[in-house]
Amino acid sequence: MTAPRQGRRIAAAIGTLTIAALTVSACSGTGDQPEGGSSDDPIVIGISLPLTGDFSEPGKGVERGYEAWRDIINENGGLLGRQVELKILDDQSNADRVVSDYESLIAQDGVDLVFGPFSTRLVVPSARVAQEYGMLFVEPAGAAEEVFEQGFDNLFYAAPAIANDHYNNLADYLLALPEGERPETAAVASMDDPFAQGTAYGLRDKLEDAGVEVLVDEVYPPNTTDFSTIAAKIAQSDADIVIGGTQYQDAVNLIIALQQLDYQPELAAFSTAPTNPEFAAAIGGATEGILAPTGYSPKSQFPSNVEFVEKYTEMHGNPPSEDEANAYTTGQVVAAAVEAVGCAEQGECQQELIDWLRGNEVETVVGPLSWDETGKPTGAHLIQQWVDGEILIVLPEDVKETDFVFPKPAW
Amino acid sequence: MLLGGLYALLAAGLTLYFGIMRVVMIAHSAFLILAAYLAWWFNRETGIDPLVSLIVTVPLFFLTGVVMQRLLISRLKPLTLTMMSVLLTFAVALIIEGALGFFFTGTQRRIPLPYASASLDFLGAQVPVVKLIAFGLAALALVLLFVLLKYTRFGQALRATIQHPEAARLVGINTDRVAGYGFGLGLATAAIGGTALSLDATIYPSLHWHWIGPLMAIIVVGGLGSIPGAAIAALLLGIAQSLLQLPLGPTWAQTVFYIALFATLMFRPQGFFGGRLAQRF
Amino acid sequence: MPSVSSREPIATETVVVAPPAPRKRPAAKWVKLALIVVGAALILSFPTIAPNPYILSAGVVILNYAVLSTGWNFMGGFTGYISLGHAAFFGLGAYGTALLIKYLALPGFVAWIIAAVLVALIAIPIGFAALRVRGASFVIVSIAFVLIMLLVFQSWREVTGGSEGLVVPRPFPGMLRPEHHRVFFYLFVLLLAVSLVVWWIIDRSKFGTALKSIREDEDKAQSLGVPTDRYKLIAYMLSALFVALGGGLYALWFGDLDPIFQFSILIGSYMVLMALLGGVRNLFGPLLGAVVVGVALEYFKLEFGDTQFHLIATGILLGIVVLFMPDGIIPAVKSLLTRSSNEASIREVTAGELLEQNDKRTADASTQERSS
Repeated sequence: MTAPRQGRRIAAAIGTLTIAALTVSACSGTGDQPEGGSSDDPIVIGISLPLTGDFSEPGKGVERGYEAWRDIINENGGLLGRQVELKILDDQSNADRVVSDYESLIAQDGVDLVFGPFSTRLVVPSARVAQEYGMLFVEPAGAAEEVFEQGFDNLFYAAPAIANDHYNNLADYLLALPEGERPETAAVASMDDPFAQGTAYGLRDKLEDAGVEVLVDEVYPPNTTDFSTIAAKIAQSDADIVIGGTQYQDAVNLIIALQQLDYQPELAAFSTAPTNPEFAAAIGGATEGILAPTGYSPKSQFPSNVEFVEKYTEMHGNPPSEDEANAYTTGQVVAAAVEAVGCAEQGECQQELIDWLRGNEVETVVGPLSWDETGKPTGAHLIQQWVDGEILIVLPEDVKETDFVFPKPAW
Repeated sequence: MLLGGLYALLAAGLTLYFGIMRVVMIAHSAFLILAAYLAWWFNRETGIDPLVSLIVTVPLFFLTGVVMQRLLISRLKPLTLTMMSVLLTFAVALIIEGALGFFFTGTQRRIPLPYASASLDFLGAQVPVVKLIAFGLAALALVLLFVLLKYTRFGQALRATIQHPEAARLVGINTDRVAGYGFGLGLATAAIGGTALSLDATIYPSLHWHWIGPLMAIIVVGGLGSIPGAAIAALLLGIAQSLLQLPLGPTWAQTVFYIALFATLMFRPQGFFGGRLAQRF
Repeated sequence: MPSVSSREPIATETVVVAPPAPRKRPAAKWVKLALIVVGAALILSFPTIAPNPYILSAGVVILNYAVLSTGWNFMGGFTGYISLGHAAFFGLGAYGTALLIKYLALPGFVAWIIAAVLVALIAIPIGFAALRVRGASFVIVSIAFVLIMLLVFQSWREVTGGSEGLVVPRPFPGMLRPEHHRVFFYLFVLLLAVSLVVWWIIDRSKFGTALKSIREDEDKAQSLGVPTDRYKLIAYMLSALFVALGGGLYALWFGDLDPIFQFSILIGSYMVLMALLGGVRNLFGPLLGAVVVGVALEYFKLEFGDTQFHLIATGILLGIVVLFMPDGIIPAVKSLLTRSSNEASIREVTAGELLEQNDKRTADASTQERSS
């Protein structure tokens, strides 16, 4: 072995040790041990949201909703008399980031409470982190079946119904139509995402059971942007109705591709996208007749909703949509538990909060919510439709704002 | 098949880099996406059709290419040039992706065009207008490139540099400068390709990885250093992909590129349509 | 027997290296040993020093990176074949372990070992195809490999769970999270130690020398009788094995697999960056690189989390390393400090060494002939 190489190895070893030592000492400096907060400290709530990446659009909506909740509740005196602070990290729509975000929030920053992230894919790993630290986990966006099959006992979904039940009202309506008018064939295209699929398959299965033939059933990975093949299949099949289990951009792309091929279905239902404010511009205004399920409407008359819509419109200039509302609901649910139990910190308090929610109902902007033992809510979603350039509630009949338009006019 | 035209243009650009400087330019597709983003941003800020942005992006990219070659690539030691160029251009690709994500965020973008959903009836099939325009643009660029290389003095100097650098120098061609211009030319094709892409595609910062795989496969199958070879391979593989899309679905159809890549390596590593540079490098 | 006694110096750019100075060695050796012991002590006591479980989990991630980059270095460091798509083996090891647990109901750690061995076996045909080409083509092929793995695992939903990802059951159900992190920290240390030892053994062996000769000049090595194809394949397999072991252990620790993360080009580039930065020739080079880059990454993600800045930083760092410090950070710093000019480029140092080895081999061979 030559001397220079020897020297290099020594230098390498010294280097490693120095850096390791520096790292450890730096880290020990920054780690704060969580302590029970005194009654004047703010309550810190830790959240990780996809502010960039695949889920950034709805992720930012959820952020606005959380912030609106914080502002409104602080205006009204705070939680347990203490001001509320939100600590929001960006997980870039990545499952590994969301885990380390919640880990750092709970273990390093010692936050008092946590709110859930957006999207089912991110909810499952983060719920696990919360579970293993014993924290209550109320989330605004994990709605697919499998979230509730993981055996989490700390999880609560802050919306009226899980994904598979979103279209229940629509399914009931279609199947109640007389023989001649009922659709006979369907085409389904869904993103490989548990929420999107949950909604689409919920509707598909109910229709299939009642005798509707499913001609096309496609699944595509989340970052798919080229829908020409799928659109071609759907157009070729000439199915009566098309069901999209979609997020946002994929719905836009799919619809444009279908329009390019001049496919005209009797009914078109897409999850999530049609309720987004930029949807109409994105597809060139050709929205007539498109349906979407929603858990929320700014016009519903629940007492806390009136206040929410008013304040939110003041702050942002436009009424809130579903993502913001789900976030706000999460805040309301946690606040109700905290006020009832009387504590907000890590440790035993969390289990008390969990137990309280298990057995009680909470009034929210989407109505009264209660849950079963897996955290599933017990309610149903509204169906909205684009009519004359506006998106309005059409089902269920007792809360409709306008009549259901069927069959769909050409787009 | 329309996609094949775009592939051919991009593969031609890649071949230019390799032919002139033996540089494997992994960042080519990153520049492609950059051009698409610039077209989108241009359209968003001014509302004018993105094709107009070509007036700015093509010269800009050309200059960038020349600068890149002079400042970065020429610093690499000739012995390990090809290997290090891979790493260096890989680094450049990462930087571009990061910068795009930084300035435009990771949200997927699409240009809302008034003629986006229009289609023409062509031999019984509905062909979207935007895809036709993209193909036309790519084809036009390829033709211009071909004319440039074959009939102009600069083109001849370029080809001489590709085929025999020492001889070219002896004849008095300033190979360094020509190399720089060649690089710029390659990036200019990326600008055109990217703008064409922006018409009908949804773009996001990490999209370039989606393109680099097929592009690499094309130049390996076509044989390194041969522009016609790359073009043929691009069209063939592009058609194969389209044909397979209906039975297999878009994701599995993409594997045709990789299968072709591995098959070429197993049986004929120097490529099938290779020019004089085809070699196991 | 092919003649190795042609003493023509290999055409290089600068002068051959100075001869070794044996008298310094014993003292340096003790210093080195002491440093290693102290380093090991620091690493082993990290879980106790770490102020909270989050830092501990970050430590596990860095250890994982160290295992991956050391594993990568079996190929990149010895043979000079740079694989940018090595994350493919990381993902295969992780998914392999998960799938074996899911479908064959094997206990976690058994599945882990079996999966890694399977991946090493898969590396044989892949390596066979990939190693048919040299240098830059090989890099391209490695990128293609990881991209296609990404496609396959995203699309094959029935088996791999597609983009939804796969949940890996906890090997120690009911264990508290901080304890869980601690156990896996030590497991990773064990894995790292094993891979370092194997690397060290190869480094000093004849097999290692043969590999390094491939790195210097493959054609020459071939003409000297080195079975380059077979040796390259073995190095590739070993590298795949260790990276897959890292992947499987990661799967067991993390619990949620996502194809975009497991088959990520970014992870592959981290591996390369860490090894290059730390120095591909050193035993501890990749480990050093892993610590530096890993800590920097965590820092960047926490401070600048909501931007893509870490991508830009990785790219810039990689570019700088490639342009100015292809040997790694230690030699670059050292040469800045000592201004020793006898190591200007990778090539002629080990070419000189190779000459020595050849001379020694000839001398041994002729001694053997004489005595037989």
